[in-house]
Amino acid sequence: MKKIDKSLFFSVILLILFGILMIYSSSNIWAEYKFHNPYKFVTAQAIFFGVGIFLIFLLIRIPPDFYKKNANRLLFLSLIFLILVLIPGIGSVRNGSRSWFGIGSLGIQPSEFSKIALIIFTAKYLAHNERDIKSIKKGILPLFLVICVFFLLIMLEPDFGTAMVIILTLIVMIFVAGPNLSFFIKIGLVGLFGIALLIAIAPYRMARIVAYLNPWSDPLGSGFQIIQSLYAIAPSGLLGTGLGSSVQKNFYLPEPQTDFIFSIIVEELGFPGALFVIGLFVFLFYRSVKIALNESDLFKKYLVFGLSFGILLQATLNLCVVCGIIPTTGVTLPFISYGGSSLLVSLISVGIILGISKKE
Amino acid sequence: MFQKIKQSRIRFVFFFFLFLSVCILIRIFYVQVVEYKRLHALAESLWQRNLPVTADRGRILDRNGKVLATNITTTTLYIVPNQIVNKEETARLLSEILECDYDAMYKHVTKRTSLEKVNPEGRQLDSETADKINDLHIDGLYLMKESKRYYPYDTVLSHVLGYVGIDNQGLSGLELQYDSYLTGKDGSIKYTSDGKGNRLTSNEVYEQPQNGIDIYLTIDIDIQLAVEKELENTDAKYTPEEALAIVTDPNTGEILAMASRPTFDSNHYQNFDLETINRNLPIWKNYEPGSTFKIITLAASLEEKTINLFEDHYFDGGSINVEGARIKCWKAGGHGAETFLQVVQNSCNPGFVVMGQKLGTDTLYQYVKDFGFTEKTGIDLNGESKGIMFAKEAIGPVEQATISFGQGISVTPIQQVAGVGAAINGGTLYTPYVVKYLSVPETKEIVLENKPTAVRQVISEETSKMVREALESVVSQGTGKNAYIENYRVGGKTGTAQKVNNGSYMVGNYIVSFMGFLPADKPEYIVYVAVDYPKGVTQYGGTVSAPIAKNIMQNIISIKGIPPSKEVTRRTYTWLDTKYYEVPNLVGLTKKEVIKETKLFKLEYSGSGENIIYQEPEAGTYIKENAVIKVMLD
Repeated sequence: MKKIDKSLFFSVILLILFGILMIYSSSNIWAEYKFHNPYKFVTAQAIFFGVGIFLIFLLIRIPPDFYKKNANRLLFLSLIFLILVLIPGIGSVRNGSRSWFGIGSLGIQPSEFSKIALIIFTAKYLAHNERDIKSIKKGILPLFLVICVFFLLIMLEPDFGTAMVIILTLIVMIFVAGPNLSFFIKIGLVGLFGIALLIAIAPYRMARIVAYLNPWSDPLGSGFQIIQSLYAIAPSGLLGTGLGSSVQKNFYLPEPQTDFIFSIIVEELGFPGALFVIGLFVFLFYRSVKIALNESDLFKKYLVFGLSFGILLQATLNLCVVCGIIPTTGVTLPFISYGGSSLLVSLISVGIILGISKKE
Repeated sequence: MFQKIKQSRIRFVFFFFLFLSVCILIRIFYVQVVEYKRLHALAESLWQRNLPVTADRGRILDRNGKVLATNITTTTLYIVPNQIVNKEETARLLSEILECDYDAMYKHVTKRTSLEKVNPEGRQLDSETADKINDLHIDGLYLMKESKRYYPYDTVLSHVLGYVGIDNQGLSGLELQYDSYLTGKDGSIKYTSDGKGNRLTSNEVYEQPQNGIDIYLTIDIDIQLAVEKELENTDAKYTPEEALAIVTDPNTGEILAMASRPTFDSNHYQNFDLETINRNLPIWKNYEPGSTFKIITLAASLEEKTINLFEDHYFDGGSINVEGARIKCWKAGGHGAETFLQVVQNSCNPGFVVMGQKLGTDTLYQYVKDFGFTEKTGIDLNGESKGIMFAKEAIGPVEQATISFGQGISVTPIQQVAGVGAAINGGTLYTPYVVKYLSVPETKEIVLENKPTAVRQVISEETSKMVREALESVVSQGTGKNAYIENYRVGGKTGTAQKVNNGSYMVGNYIVSFMGFLPADKPEYIVYVAVDYPKGVTQYGGTVSAPIAKNIMQNIISIKGIPPSKEVTRRTYTWLDTKYYEVPNLVGLTKKEVIKETKLFKLEYSGSGENIIYQEPEAGTYIKENAVIKVMLD
């Protein structure tokens, strides 16, 4: 029997269990108010946790070559789903985005699953076109076109956060594959030029951007959640108010068990709580990077790196939002935020990584 | 080679994100430590709810602790707009109950604030209206207790007390003057609320309101009520332009009663014009005092010994010539030959001119000044006037002559009462005052106390005694007869002052006054009454004001239970007057002896014996001729 990376596995389990505890702590009042059941969210998350563990053990047994072979099929399937979800009547609108397939109170987000399909596809593409990687026309442009199709479809929902996570993950994967840095400089310059042009045409956009970056410029609109989050983080002090005694979860921070759960964690557990969560994420990424570095097969290397980076990037974006460093993007904190779709996708990623980590 | 690039780039990404993670931790640390103060304050203001608990305003009480201004509990509507689900419906229902504009109410209901006081529509609601709002059972509406000022005696003493605005802030009178003492410190119920405005049970702080400080006055409300009743009758009987009365204790300067007509109701001050409210006549009104001022001339002359009341004589031919000006006596043809006591009793103007001349300008002026007529008395009330007095250099012989009998100068009632108080109390001028002390309602601790303030000794006790006797004879034998009270010693002086309009005296329009005191041998009460332009009556102080003062004094006698005096200066009678005779002692006499002793009275027997064992009234009192004496036989 081959051994999986146990420390990676247990750090993920630890994160999820911690998440379940904090989901209960942050959501019981909200759940009681909305559903007359304080355990509503925590039970759902626990069930998804069970399903996720089952999936991990299933995925560990699947040989990595299976993904390589089916990469195109998986991508095509997720493309179909992304188109279907945009059709009213099939896809349902939640929080302003038509990004869900609703099944009762549960929901599946196809964009989350397309993330994995795209990472698999990109890993395979980069491994296959190793020789052309230095050529923009032959190597990267075709991949870029595929990515853009998906990006546009997800932006149509719109799900800005997931689209950002996907595109940044794929770009960093391409970066790792080894094209000249000038390529990225060119992309960056094109982007900067585009933004400069937009501002030059209408200078008020600059003010808009500054206002968007400053939550206090619109405390009841776009800045509302971030301000409420800061009200959770700051007043509790370095040691926190103690488990269960958050004030902000009492209807100040809406849906405290989802995107902003980290602010409740910091409010109740203080700086040590923050250190614990961030430390586990860094450890998780460290273990994954180690697997990727030791892997000689390019597809597996890219896949492990891409999947783990996707998770870390999403976590980083979420934490930056919660701490008020960047504006709200709408991404969840992997493993911890409430949400079945998000948790399953993260666990599938972990399952694939663990499958690759198996050693003789 | 290619592999190496990949490995290093993976490492680069790892370290870059490790760096980002450290940045995030630093940011959290920064927010929790550096921004703590600012964000903590902002969050507190979001979480904290303050439901105000209004403090009771300090009460105002009379010298015996009877309440003159107090608080009644009313209800005020507060709204927590965030908690109101259906704003239009709520605004509609409230505007119907409170009978106010829908739009105004909608503004209250939708205001972006954590707690909205519905001002003024929802203030000081009666219990019926409050119940109606309560019965709506709408979340987000809170009915809080609020106290409202209440003056149980309505119009009584209103000028002294003043009134308060809707926020219980003092706007006039003592309410304004002592506002900082009367105003308590509002308390509150402080609690952390959740985002829906509901109380989080974890912590609740009740900050007890600090009630305001009580003010005890020198006023005796019973005497005040008697005075108000008399002025009420005066108003009804004579419909004067204005009327006023003051009762003071001459030995301390304490004001016992002070009233004005027209007056106003402190509870409903909105219904009265500002002039009526602001003019506390006893301290504001100034006018030529007339003959009551002669008391000052008399006291000065006696102190300087420039006249002898009994031995010096003056012949009043009806007028006196001063530097070519003919000053007439009020009595056509004059009073003829008089002693100076009779000059006082008759209130003879030429006689007083002579008294003034004997004093000389400097001395007269000095006494006018020493009796307090050149400056405000310094009474602890707002709105006191100073009066108008000649500069000393401007006093020529004519001015000196008119000052002697109270014309050509303008003084306030309170100046007169204070000055006369000094003339009869043994010679000391006291500063009049109405606030006796301020005390904390719960502990009774005295915060501030006013003691009698002696300004100066103006005349000697001996002179003062002579003034009292002279003024007692004015009541018993002179112009003040209408103030005479059987069995009591009353002193006094009438006054009939001409009013000046556009530099000349008005015809048939007088301020008639009476300055009385009781008991005359040891005065405890001064009563001053002035009536401005009484209609349908001969305008003399003796005919209008003396009877009013007499009624007030009789009320004081019964309120205070003042025993009759043993020695009484007998009143002289004209044939029109009912005669009074002294009741002889009958106890111990036999029935036969009694009949001989009591020819002037009727007798009523009870019992069947021969010897008298009890009589009523007792010996020494004066009763009307032919009145009944009840005797009890053994």
